[in-house]
Amino acid sequence: MKQTVRLPGGESRFQEDKELARDIRQREILPALARGDSVVLDFTDVEYATQSFVHALIGEVLKRYGIEILDRIEFRRCSKQLQNIISLVVNYSLGGFVEGIDEEVIRDSRLSASA
Amino acid sequence: MLELTVPNSVSFHTANAFFSQNPFFEEAGGLARVTLHPRWMHIEPFGMAMLAAWGAWCRRHGVRVEVENLGPKADYAWRMHLFQFLGVEYQPQRVEREEAGRFLPVTQVRNGADIRAVIGDISALLHLQHNPESLAAVQYCVSELLRNVIEHSNSSDGAFICAHNYDRADPARVTIAVADCGVGIRAHLGRAYPEAQVNDWNAVTMAMRPGITGAIPGMYGTPDNAGAGLFITRSIAKGSGGYFLVASGEACYRLRRAKGPEAQTELPLDPTFDRHDKWVFPHPWQGTVVSMEIRTDQIDDFDSYFAWIRKFVPAREEVTRRIRFT
Repeated sequence: MKQTVRLPGGESRFQEDKELARDIRQREILPALARGDSVVLDFTDVEYATQSFVHALIGEVLKRYGIEILDRIEFRRCSKQLQNIISLVVNYSLGGFVEGIDEEVIRDSRLSASA
Repeated sequence: MLELTVPNSVSFHTANAFFSQNPFFEEAGGLARVTLHPRWMHIEPFGMAMLAAWGAWCRRHGVRVEVENLGPKADYAWRMHLFQFLGVEYQPQRVEREEAGRFLPVTQVRNGADIRAVIGDISALLHLQHNPESLAAVQYCVSELLRNVIEHSNSSDGAFICAHNYDRADPARVTIAVADCGVGIRAHLGRAYPEAQVNDWNAVTMAMRPGITGAIPGMYGTPDNAGAGLFITRSIAKGSGGYFLVASGEACYRLRRAKGPEAQTELPLDPTFDRHDKWVFPHPWQGTVVSMEIRTDQIDDFDSYFAWIRKFVPAREEVTRRIRFT
């Protein structure tokens, strides 16, 4: 079975409501996965979301089931920002941030900020 | 009587003086006096948010607030709703058209519904309807900063937020500030990290590193918290070339603009590796203040900021391959 969860985006299409994310996780995602179903998270109505929202939505799922659960979750119609956020949350949930971080400096020439 | 002084300018550049000279939480004896500068007043959002949070704290502790030098220059503070949180009556000398402003007046936020209301209003209030990238960055940061307070500060009065779109300034920027009089970062993180208990500076700088949260029972967060909010908002400020300030207790960190474009695009996980100021105040702020700038002239691709931040998370090929975007 496949359960589709269409995430509301509201007028602004910006989603940050962690209470909603927690509710969806507890009422829909975790029970569906516990039944052995697959879950489609449909972001059609959402263009931007916070990392906190996505973490509240799937962080516990990843911690509980591990990498294998990704075979039963589909992220549908995600904007580029959402894809980046989801990838961020999935990766740190399964492995954490950079280790030995005092030496780490990340550069990205795509950013055009001027001093 | 407790005496506070608001100098002619309260900005990122003068923040040290504003914090240092004001004993916000000393014994007041039932009365506090705030003295405004008689001829000129420029108070950026962090000053407004702090004074409002402090005003609410005073009212909760039975301290009556008086304000001196309520001249025409106080109209701006009135428009920002500051006096209502200080419990001070003020009649503006000139009432401007609402649409002339590009600001979110000081707003008290107590729960998720209040956060959503602020997010919903901010586009029109800051006149960002036609700048979707900047709007997304502002909404993102407002949400993360407010949720930090609601979830972690244990503040009886919640959070106080203020923002201003300086779109005609050079550089064009949106400044956001959130202040509370809650437990502060040291007390919050100290429950999980002994090194945060050592002093406020340790706690403040730890809070800006990813994966650090006082709600943490193990590595990389609880079901509802990952401890990445301040790290990502700091990154957004840094990436756009803006300032970022966190003050709690007696410590304050201020991210400065880097010395050159290349350094501006570097993102260290440890905030002390960035060009910054470290201040230790004689009078601690009982709670937390966060203020940041988003350079709207530099936000032309908000998505790229997350690609940048993602580089701190080791790309695991197997994980990446198994994430299914359809």
